[in-house]
Amino acid sequence: MARMKFICDAERCIECNGCVTACKNEHEVPWGVNRRRVVTINDGVPGERSMSVACMHCSDAPCMAVCPVDCFYRTDEGVVLHDKDLCIGCGYCFYACPFGAPQFPQAGAFGLRGKMDKCTFCAGGPEKDSSEDEFRKYGRNRLAEGKLPLCAEVCSTKALLGGDADVLADIYRQRVLTRGKGADIWGWSTAYGKPDAPASQPAGGGQS
Amino acid sequence: MNADMTLLRRVMLLMCALCALGAAPVHAQSAESQAQAARQQSQPLNNAPVWREVRSGDSHYTTVKGVETGVLIQSGGQTWRALRNGPVMLYGGIVFCAMLVLLALFYKLRGPIRLSGVKTGRLIERFNTLERTAHWSMAISFCVLALSGLVMLFGKHVLLPVFGYSLFATVAVICKNVHNFVGPLFILSVLVFIVLFIKDNVWQSIDALWIRKAGGLLSGEHVPSHRFNFGEKTWFWLGVVGLSLLVGASGLVLNFPNFEQGRFIMQSANIVHLVGALIVMTLSLAHIYIGSIGMEGALDGMKSGYVDETWAKEHHELWYDEAVNAQPAERQAGALPAAARI
Repeated sequence: MARMKFICDAERCIECNGCVTACKNEHEVPWGVNRRRVVTINDGVPGERSMSVACMHCSDAPCMAVCPVDCFYRTDEGVVLHDKDLCIGCGYCFYACPFGAPQFPQAGAFGLRGKMDKCTFCAGGPEKDSSEDEFRKYGRNRLAEGKLPLCAEVCSTKALLGGDADVLADIYRQRVLTRGKGADIWGWSTAYGKPDAPASQPAGGGQS
Repeated sequence: MNADMTLLRRVMLLMCALCALGAAPVHAQSAESQAQAARQQSQPLNNAPVWREVRSGDSHYTTVKGVETGVLIQSGGQTWRALRNGPVMLYGGIVFCAMLVLLALFYKLRGPIRLSGVKTGRLIERFNTLERTAHWSMAISFCVLALSGLVMLFGKHVLLPVFGYSLFATVAVICKNVHNFVGPLFILSVLVFIVLFIKDNVWQSIDALWIRKAGGLLSGEHVPSHRFNFGEKTWFWLGVVGLSLLVGASGLVLNFPNFEQGRFIMQSANIVHLVGALIVMTLSLAHIYIGSIGMEGALDGMKSGYVDETWAKEHHELWYDEAVNAQPAERQAGALPAAARI
């Protein structure tokens, strides 16, 4: 059985927000909720990087661990889903999640938040696959239709990939090798600079 | 024409300056972004400074509106989870249950604290209607909050296996909403209670005697005190003023997400709320015990407002003396105060 994963290639993401829009449209996500978002670091300066983030479908999911009604479950493919009929809107999953994935349609006084909503990896919920109820609560069940998450499928630069972790790892490894920077990005050169650089640099004038 | 141009240029310059000021936090050449720019030169494709930024929990640029949407990774949740699901739940549960066992043992071994003398049938007013209303509003809302809170914290492990998912979720959602709406009422009743009772809970020199004799709890000796003894005063200051207000305040932080507090504030408030609530609930068990089955005649004061003279003399001698001296005419006539005939 495949272990489903997302990966976002920071070298490729161009902050087009296509994934955000596609997700919102495909699942008719409630107003005020974005299951996916793009965050840009060092916006507008050299070295700017963007990445798309949503539920990461953790193996040891914090949301699942803290939910007081135990409404989360993990599918055979490692997708973390939840049951909106059980959800009491306490917000604990929102406190626990490092990625800010769980969101609520409201942020009302007296803790009236409504039912939690988050990325389902386009895998719906506990209702019957592709049923009307499932769509209303969780959005489209693309996995049941044999399709991968729409956000990754529409990504124009294929920065965002979603699918079997083994396949994604192979694709990403290939990319790193093709970029030709795989070996000297990390390790020795991160600590000491480029292998060919030290000889040409004047003593004491090394780049920071 | 020339003058107009100068004016226009000045206005534009001013606007540029203002824009630069306004945009400064976003586009500032921060140390991190400078590090990344430098790294791009020395080692293209090495994004270590960017990944450090990802991990830092700082907010970055995003078009998506919402609470902390610019933060990629917020690490506090892990600490919160580890504390809540770990020591807070474990030790909180143990301490709470230990108090129940301890009180049961105490009741079995020591039994209720009975009056030494015979009831006289003459009653003295101990709590007026307002005081009793304040106490019981606080007590009832406290019990509702405690029970619903316990369901939220321990229900998953205690009730869920018995009830099943659907029924437990229904119970939990009722508990959550009751908890959230009764909470502010509790805080209100606590505030009224504090105003009414603060005067008689100020520490007095006689309290030293109570401390020295440990309240006579084990010896069975009656230690004289004014209206409230040191034990009651401690419960007032620690349980009501200290812990109830702390739990109440942290509860308000959690209860109003409409103010868009960040996750760190919510996580911290939740831990304070849990620890405070578990301590005050544990202590409340002792208070409930001594105020009901643990002491003969103690409940009468809060139930009807009147206590028997014997009880007053044995448990609050100095207060009894004051109360007697305050109404000498009636006492000499041997008559009951009108309101005392119930």
